[in-house]
Amino acid sequence: MMRLDVIVTQFPDLEIVELTGWIDRGWVRPEPDGRFEAIDIARVRLIYDLRRSLNVAEDAVPMILALLDQVYDLRTTLKAVSAALETQPPGVRDAVLAAMAGAAAP
Amino acid sequence: MDDPYKLLGVERDASEATIQKAYRKLAKLHHPDLNPGKPEAEAKFKQISAANALLSDPEKRAAFDRGEIGADGTPQAPRDFYRGHGDRAGRTKYQSEPSFGDDDLESLFRNAFGQRSRGGFAMKGADLHFTLSVGFIEAAKGAVKRLTLPDGGPLDVTIPVGLKDGAILRLKAKGQPGAAGGPAGDALIEISVAAHPFFKRDGNDVIVDLPITIQEAVVGAKVRVPTIDGPINLTIQPRSNSGTRLRLKGRGIAGGHQFVELRIVLSPSEEPALEAFLAGWTPVHPFDPRAGMAPS
Repeated sequence: MMRLDVIVTQFPDLEIVELTGWIDRGWVRPEPDGRFEAIDIARVRLIYDLRRSLNVAEDAVPMILALLDQVYDLRTTLKAVSAALETQPPGVRDAVLAAMAGAAAP
Repeated sequence: MDDPYKLLGVERDASEATIQKAYRKLAKLHHPDLNPGKPEAEAKFKQISAANALLSDPEKRAAFDRGEIGADGTPQAPRDFYRGHGDRAGRTKYQSEPSFGDDDLESLFRNAFGQRSRGGFAMKGADLHFTLSVGFIEAAKGAVKRLTLPDGGPLDVTIPVGLKDGAILRLKAKGQPGAAGGPAGDALIEISVAAHPFFKRDGNDVIVDLPITIQEAVVGAKVRVPTIDGPINLTIQPRSNSGTRLRLKGRGIAGGHQFVELRIVLSPSEEPALEAFLAGWTPVHPFDPRAGMAPS
């Protein structure tokens, strides 16, 4: 269980004001009781990297986050599809793979 | 670690700004959270981060240049990257808006499979493949054959009239059941038609070699001929030759004909009277059946 003031101590030059701004814009969404879960801290670190190391402009961050969220959602979905296919008879799997190969071809 | 200058692709006398620019360019390419599908991105990102940490600190950079510290002078703490969380199944936080939720997913698959249903995405069941051997007459006239499915259930297969060897019957929805309201797969049945002892087939025509005695060939006769619908009487005209082809109209398959090819067969037993007669026989019209084969 970590709070705002504890989080900022993990970053050399991150002020509570800036982190609060990220939360206000919805980039990071701590639990309703203010608790940061591991995923929230990892997300703070990602935004910190974008802003500091990669020098991403502030107004480009929401776009990058939105695209990343879609990528991760799609990856989760594809994994679910892939797991569902695992349980199908070989004939079904082969048919799906063949259809995918056909769809991927120019 | 490799030479930090090489890692960042900069000269040894590069300015701080050049180093920072080179690092940012590489970090944007290799940041693990931006590359969830590339496991190798994490090691690469750590290398360039370490190289940047070393070269962007003037004191450390000078020490490295003098050879006082190695490239590994700035060990990095292990880090919990976002992608480990973003890829986790069942994650509800930070879903993209609008949520790529169940409804969306379902409609995606409904479109993909071209059907409508509710409750999970519908998938067509798998097709089942069988081979079925049918008799010549069954294939010619049609029949109903019973197959036993893998689950023990019976499956009645209607053999249509005139089915050909190697044909594949598709029984709709007789395969594996579909998932979540999807249609069942089909049963695909490959037909092999067994050979018949005397019927042969050419398209929808049936061909029979009909053995006749020499007496029947010479003086004519009424004989019984098998057809796929049962034997019928056939008149052999006097002086019918071996190889003569007679057509039984409409006695073939589905409107085809049956062709009867006469074949004169000698009795396997001795026939002294016939031999004596033929030995002393002088034809009225001398005839050389091999005249056409004489060398010219």
